[in-house]
Amino acid sequence: MYGFEMMTFNIHGGFLEAIVRGHRSSLLTASDYNNLCQCETLDDVKMHLSATEYGPYLQNEPSPLHTATIVEKCTLKLVDEYKQMLCQATEPLSTFLEYITYGHMIDNVVLIVTGTLHERDVHELLEKCHPLGMFDSIATLAVAQNMRELYRLVLVDTPLAPYFSECITSEDLDDMNIEIMRNTLYKAYLEDFYQFCQKMGGATAEIMSDLLSFEADRRAVNITINSIGTELTRDDRRNLYSSFGLLYPYGHEELSLCEDAEQVRGALEKYPAYQSIFAKMSYGESQLLDKAFYEEEVKRLCLSFEQQFHYGVFFAYMRLREQEIRNLMWISECVAQNQKSRIHDSVVFIF
Amino acid sequence: METMKDEDGTILKFLDTMDNYLILFDSLSSTLRQGWLDLASARHSMGSSRISTALLNLKEHSASTVVRVNDETINETSGMEPHFTLRKWRTCEDKTNPIEEEEDVQGLLKQPSLNLRHRGFSETKEASNEPLVSVDDQVQKERSKALSVFGALVSPKLRSAQISFETVLETLIDIANARSVMLSTFEQLQQMKEQSN
Repeated sequence: MYGFEMMTFNIHGGFLEAIVRGHRSSLLTASDYNNLCQCETLDDVKMHLSATEYGPYLQNEPSPLHTATIVEKCTLKLVDEYKQMLCQATEPLSTFLEYITYGHMIDNVVLIVTGTLHERDVHELLEKCHPLGMFDSIATLAVAQNMRELYRLVLVDTPLAPYFSECITSEDLDDMNIEIMRNTLYKAYLEDFYQFCQKMGGATAEIMSDLLSFEADRRAVNITINSIGTELTRDDRRNLYSSFGLLYPYGHEELSLCEDAEQVRGALEKYPAYQSIFAKMSYGESQLLDKAFYEEEVKRLCLSFEQQFHYGVFFAYMRLREQEIRNLMWISECVAQNQKSRIHDSVVFIF
Repeated sequence: METMKDEDGTILKFLDTMDNYLILFDSLSSTLRQGWLDLASARHSMGSSRISTALLNLKEHSASTVVRVNDETINETSGMEPHFTLRKWRTCEDKTNPIEEEEDVQGLLKQPSLNLRHRGFSETKEASNEPLVSVDDQVQKERSKALSVFGALVSPKLRSAQISFETVLETLIDIANARSVMLSTFEQLQQMKEQSN
């Protein structure tokens, strides 16, 4: 199972692993979140964040602040750190780091295509794209009328090209086709990333297979819950689930038949790993499912730092930062809407 | 004596309508807060790029919900009294058989409800359950269609935000009708006072 990474890992990856462990220590702690939860206004939030590593990114923002501004500047910090690591990475770490951004690339493609379908201005859509998912020809997406054109004109030269083979049709793009395209692309991306990590072997394969399997299972649950009561057929739903993960294949069979949240609970409680998630929720509390899954994910991501000499720490750091940004977004929204009693509904503490 | 009793009755009616008006305002405020929080929760769950103003549809399309002002309700003493009705989820394809909801004047005293209330035509009341089921299905389809700007598979939190904002629309119509009744009752009181003077 292990490839004696201890002997060779530090030659090319030691410096960046040290960098990412240093970044990890700057993640917000429970006391930081307690201070933020007591803020009365977004300016108070900015004041508390000025004492953290987000300070330089927020200090020049004028009042009144908006939640979207806080999220944008915090994301900018993550992007800067990522780019610093990417420019110093060698193969195969550079490819591994690029894989982490393909999910955002898919989201950006879908955003541009959906916005264009709704006759929105391309420049407005480009401003809303996630910076980690940008690529050179992204603006050209607005020209495509169907998936075949989307592939031929733009995506053939991007890293997403191999993922398009399962969803190329000549049908015009509409809301359902776009949603199926999004989930099919993400499924192909996750499977490809999983295979890449398996090829790397050693601790990277072991840790990443656990993290990616959890991601695949969580996606399957979200697809199931979000498709209840929609026109998505059971076969289409099953085709959107990934071909790996703890729930593959028997859990997927049960999930594809679920018609409500309680049936989803029944399907997942058979798996000990997910039993603990549902043990925290009583019947009817399906709205807390998101938070329960985020908490489980954070637990697994933090555990990956307990081992050395593997690339999983980079993936874990990026995901933990994204969780931190989600926390800051939620706290800012609750402060802005004067709903501080609801802050703890969705904040997930990392440390 | 009878005049005093009429005046007392009108004062009580005015106070009742004002109380209902204030209750409706309070209900509106709490439902709006819940709706905005559900929307933030949906954005937290699905991501900022999926719930964004940049995705709203700019294509020309008719409104799925309209407000109709009806001046035909005649008050005995003050004359014309505007009456507002909300027609939700009108389907463009089937304008001969639109999905409609009408707020009765008596319904002003009730809390806003999500249950469909049909017009007070006897044929509709005597109809079988089948039309009610198909109306519910059509309403659900229209709701899903409205949410499809954010994608075909959306979080349940976004759906509950939609329900909250729909309830807010109904409450606003209730408030408009309550205000109309309150103002006409106030005019009656003023007329009674002038007559007694």
